[in-house]
Amino acid sequence: MGETEVRRVVVVGGGSAGWIAACRLAAQARRIGSGVQVTLVESRNVPTVGVGEGTWPTMRNTLAKIGITETDFIRSCDAAFKQGARFVGWTDGTAQDGYYHPLNPPAGATEIDLAPHWLHRAAETGSFADWVDYQAMLCDAGLGPKTIVMPEYAGHANYAYHLDAGKFAVLLREHGVGTLGIDHVLGDVVRPQMSDHGDIVHLELADGRTVAGDLFVDCTGFAARLIGGVYQVPFRRCGDVLFADRAMALQVPYEDEDSPITCHTVSTAQEAGWIWDIGLWTRRGVGHVYSSAHTSDDAAEAALRAYVGPAAKGLSARRITIDAGHRTRFWQNNCVAVGLSAGFIEPLEASALMLIEASMDAIADRLPRTRAAMDVMARQFNATFTHHWMRIIEFLKLHYVLTRRTDSDFWRDNVASSSIPDGLAERLELWRHHSPGPQDFDHAREVFSWPSYQYVLHGMGFDSRQPRIDAAAPDTALAQRFVTRMARAKDDLRTRAPRHRDLLRAIREHGLQRV
Amino acid sequence: MTGITPLSPAAHRGLRYDRHAAGGTRRFARIGLSEIAVAAADMPLCLAKDGQTGRFNLIALMSLVEPANLFVFGGGFQATYVPRAVMLGGFRLDARGAAGLAVDPADPGLGEAGEPLFAQEQPTPLAHDIARALERLVADVEAAQALVDAWAAHGLIRPLRLSLSKADGGAHDLAGLYTVDEAAVQALPDADLIALHRADRLGPAAVLTASLAQVERLRQLHNARFAPALTGYSLD
Repeated sequence: MGETEVRRVVVVGGGSAGWIAACRLAAQARRIGSGVQVTLVESRNVPTVGVGEGTWPTMRNTLAKIGITETDFIRSCDAAFKQGARFVGWTDGTAQDGYYHPLNPPAGATEIDLAPHWLHRAAETGSFADWVDYQAMLCDAGLGPKTIVMPEYAGHANYAYHLDAGKFAVLLREHGVGTLGIDHVLGDVVRPQMSDHGDIVHLELADGRTVAGDLFVDCTGFAARLIGGVYQVPFRRCGDVLFADRAMALQVPYEDEDSPITCHTVSTAQEAGWIWDIGLWTRRGVGHVYSSAHTSDDAAEAALRAYVGPAAKGLSARRITIDAGHRTRFWQNNCVAVGLSAGFIEPLEASALMLIEASMDAIADRLPRTRAAMDVMARQFNATFTHHWMRIIEFLKLHYVLTRRTDSDFWRDNVASSSIPDGLAERLELWRHHSPGPQDFDHAREVFSWPSYQYVLHGMGFDSRQPRIDAAAPDTALAQRFVTRMARAKDDLRTRAPRHRDLLRAIREHGLQRV
Repeated sequence: MTGITPLSPAAHRGLRYDRHAAGGTRRFARIGLSEIAVAAADMPLCLAKDGQTGRFNLIALMSLVEPANLFVFGGGFQATYVPRAVMLGGFRLDARGAAGLAVDPADPGLGEAGEPLFAQEQPTPLAHDIARALERLVADVEAAQALVDAWAAHGLIRPLRLSLSKADGGAHDLAGLYTVDEAAVQALPDADLIALHRADRLGPAAVLTASLAQVERLRQLHNARFAPALTGYSLD
């Protein structure tokens, strides 16, 4: 078994996760000429969940690796640009309560930490995000992160996307089958044939066919047919930390074809959860994430419809159950879970697609050549992604624990110390004395790095007792230089950056160039 | 651009066209397919993106640092070839105008000197000739656009970094220029290579890259008129 070469990879499931996984594997096999054959098995009878309409900037790299042009992606998936998130009503629920978590890092992030300088001058400088970076201005003004003359996947600001998940899966399938040579098998998996060592040898389909493989990627969504159904890997729930267990979504048309398209996710706090609002080319996607222990489905739907207003009339809401948590292991024997089969939590920071991409970076770019190498890979993968899940849960919880809202049980329960992970509580105490920095984390590669923590902490007015800045210190002058340079860039972009919808229209009409 | 108006005897009765003064401030000009070989005899040809569409346009470069056309001095255009877009820069096609033209009164080729555009309230033969030349130019530029689009579709375009050294120790970089990627041309699959050759897409590509030697001509023209002198340049 040990020296058996990994030549056949079978992806089970045809949603976003399945097709991203298959395309990454097939594109990498072509790039290095490994000869690995990728098969994707998809049931006609299992609808895809289609969650995850927001990406991280990592998606640009993923699409480029797969070989899909940004122009085709934007045209095919009704995609729009996303430059971060604005959290409304999370701190105290007052009318002026809102802050940005932009995708740009603070100015000079590799050379200086601007946070203590902002804290020193907070009274005169406005919000943290606006003082250290220009992207909040772009979002407020509805301006795009690039211009039509910039090459594919490049911008004057860091950016991600909002997309139609169903159309994205179709694009990936057409590219994967038509260009990358993925073998697409339509059929219902009935049972696996197992080896003596506990590996999956092949999958039996309902029509009697079999699909053999050396590695199986479980992208079967919440069903987790292989990692859960076959291997019975336990599921670790985190409902005691993150209370949201339901979501309902509406697809809201624009008032007219020239309506502005918001260039960031708007996340608005509610009595027992929060509402996402994202802009695509053709429509808005609006959804309410909530805790069923703190409100009823009917009340949640009423809150969602009240948020949307008259445009919600006649629209039917799609309901999703969230079993928040993740597998205790993701890779077992020759099976690795990617996507919802690995875990799921509320989409507060759009982590669903990012985790698929990160998983495939680890799997496709380091595909074990032999079965023996697979066990080492599996151990590393499990350790890495267990850590990632822990950190993601902590980071999402950060948005809740800093609230000063006391207007409902949901918000009161969220600050109960029993619901706060030990690691987060420990770091919060540390961050009372200095702003989050790269040395505050165990791993060099964190999914959420220190700027993200700074944007949330300082956006929510975290009570910090940092020492005063010496105005005469060299770093003070350096900080001022970065802030001044950033302010110039902000002024320039305010006049030069295109309106978001105009940019999308130009891309759809003319396309972007590769260089 | 905002001053462009349909040509009319009421507004432009006394307007004249001086071909020798045309293009004095043009730093570059779009050229048509038939102009590639002749323009390359004087000017570096390269590509630049259209600000509205992002598509690559084929242009002839006529300036390096100063906002002036280095070929225009001594009372005329000092080159073996004048791009048609330079000669006709003061005119646009406009069905509402006399002879089917609109004019940009700010263009240095239009004024009180030169040949008349009207005679006894009627457009002169010159005005009609200009309209026909503009129609040919539009078609020729469209043909060039198809050529450039074919290069772009095959991934044969790369950024061109043009950096100039000045005698005062400074440097000046020209941004936003592109050229044909010779390495990408050489790496083309055989079938694509033959198809492009048969469509006459590769000959012009070779002319384009060879024309970059004319940057030296621009440097010499610059040094004859402006200070500080340009001591050298690099193309990457």
